[in-house]
Amino acid sequence: MDSAVTHSLLVARPTKLSRFVVFSVGGHVAVLLAAVLYARFTSTPKMDLDQKPINASLVRLGKPRDPKLLPRKEQAQPPPKEVAAKPTPTPPSQEPVPAPSPNAVAVPGAKPAPAPTPQKGEANAEDRRKKLFGAFDKSAKPSEPEELEGAEDGDPDGDSAVQEGERYYGLLKSQVRRHYNVADTIPDAERLYLKAQVAMRLGRSGEVLDVSLAKASGNELFDSAVVAAVRKASPFSPPPDALRDALQKNGVVLVFSP
Amino acid sequence: MKALLLSLLLVPALVLAQAPVIEISGANFRPLPLAAPAPTVQEGGDKKAAGAFDTAFTYDLTASGIFQVLDRAGFTADAKEGMTAGSINFSRWADVGAESLVKVSLAQDGGALRGELRLFNVATGHEDLKVAKDAPANEPRKLAHALADALYRHFTREASPFLSRITYVRKAGANRDVYVADWDGMGAQALTKGGTNILPTLSPSGQVAFTSYRKNRPDIYVQAPGGEAKPVVTDGQMATGVAFSPDGRRIAYALAEGESAQIYVAAVDGSGAKAITDTPYGLNTSPSWSPDGKRIAFVSNRGGSPQVYVMGADGSGVKRLTFQGNYNQTPDWSPRGDLIAFTARDERNAFDLFTVNVETGKVTRLTQDQGNNEEPSFSPNGRLIMFSTTRNGGAHLWVMTAEGNNQLPLPMEKGNWLTPDWGIAPAAK
Repeated sequence: MDSAVTHSLLVARPTKLSRFVVFSVGGHVAVLLAAVLYARFTSTPKMDLDQKPINASLVRLGKPRDPKLLPRKEQAQPPPKEVAAKPTPTPPSQEPVPAPSPNAVAVPGAKPAPAPTPQKGEANAEDRRKKLFGAFDKSAKPSEPEELEGAEDGDPDGDSAVQEGERYYGLLKSQVRRHYNVADTIPDAERLYLKAQVAMRLGRSGEVLDVSLAKASGNELFDSAVVAAVRKASPFSPPPDALRDALQKNGVVLVFSP
Repeated sequence: MKALLLSLLLVPALVLAQAPVIEISGANFRPLPLAAPAPTVQEGGDKKAAGAFDTAFTYDLTASGIFQVLDRAGFTADAKEGMTAGSINFSRWADVGAESLVKVSLAQDGGALRGELRLFNVATGHEDLKVAKDAPANEPRKLAHALADALYRHFTREASPFLSRITYVRKAGANRDVYVADWDGMGAQALTKGGTNILPTLSPSGQVAFTSYRKNRPDIYVQAPGGEAKPVVTDGQMATGVAFSPDGRRIAYALAEGESAQIYVAAVDGSGAKAITDTPYGLNTSPSWSPDGKRIAFVSNRGGSPQVYVMGADGSGVKRLTFQGNYNQTPDWSPRGDLIAFTARDERNAFDLFTVNVETGKVTRLTQDQGNNEEPSFSPNGRLIMFSTTRNGGAHLWVMTAEGNNQLPLPMEKGNWLTPDWGIAPAAK
């Protein structure tokens, strides 16, 4: 009986339970207090959170303009069109390539031009090249092989040289385009049909040996503008070995359209 | 001999055949760098007239938007250099950045002023143009416009704006008077004297139509320079915004009556007037004809706020053109047909100029953060836009390209110059 009473849950057992309750309550209060205090102390320095709404509004300003509002003026200075000229072309790692002469990329009296800095051993050189000269690839002769890498002991007139040549012509093209300025005076209707060909020969160090109008467009301003574009773009980088003789003897033909 | 000829023909062909071909496109179009040294004056010439010629000539070329007239401070004219290619040191002109060189020589010939212009391609040294024009000795500006026009035509193969006329309102005290003037605002001639005369417009034949309060009510009058103003629209409570059709035979205008305003089309003498809009409580104002005379742009608040609409010249096929902003007005249809310029109040309550593409509805801003800019009017060839601006205090007439570039004030004295309208056709020559 005694044991039953002592074991009954209904009987008050002040000693152990109260101690447990006190401990439990105290523990909870402590945890709560700690949490409150922690929150208070840690949040006090963060009261500057008021600053945050400013940040948020800055983000909001970056949103596109409300389409219901009238547009703002487009910036006067148009971005350079030849974005493709910006990345740095990489010469093939398997063949030594003469370093570009220091004045090869000097653009007299013009906006700073990105210098093509040769970097050896780029893993994604081919991708970069594709990106760079993709447009050129389209206009390139279809007979050109698609091989990525040429053999080190390959034919100097073989595919490795072709790849290198493509790269060089791409460089040449972007350099000329940077100076391809044509007068606004040319009537809109005429702009659709203008086409001029310029023949030029290049020396061993990339200097222009001679440049001439191979086929006139019929508009003298356009003709002189395209010849001027080539003259202003020169000198070019020294041609790769494989092209050196051909560029000196036969040269290259640039076909200009607006 | 035959073999030699054949080889001469074949060798370049072979060279071309062997040379690789690189295609280059994406030209960067920009104004042509042009050097225009001060005109040389022949013995016995009028130095003052030469100065007036030079000012007008240089202004024409500068404001045209297609030339980049090189600053004369950047080069010193060689007094010994003559008018012929042989006497010109072209490399010197190339050094200062010129791609074309224009030389003018002035001579007095009795009561006439004779100007000879020669244009050279600096790169080739080739003489591209040689033209001579005469003008009365007391009108050197006229000679300047004629020679500038010849130069402009040479390049663009179209008429320049330099021989066209404009009309505008001068506000002085309580009076608003209508003027007509050369394209640069000079040689102005007042058509009205006192009272309130507003919103003038030029017909292809040089007549001016405007709204005048001379009978104490706003009616539309038509007047030829030197002639009398004839009333053509006297109906309604207020007749405004008159516009000539491109053939000059019809007028469109807005007639306010009670709560509404409707657009009417009538013969140029006001007869046969017919309403082409019909919105019982809406306002329809500011008609502007398309270059083919088949459509009319106008402002209507039928959608809640004033916006630019287009419709057939008979009122059919109304289409809303602007959906941005809530206060768009004063449309002017480009003589090229593709764009309509208009004034809009933006969200900061500034009035600025815009164009909207008639086909695509694309809105392009032309002015910004430069006072209020209002009342655009296209040049007869559609390449330039004249407008009224408060950017330098008062209200002044400025001109810019249709893209909003090359903004320049007209060389007029300071004052309050409002609502310019550029004649739709160049003055008959």
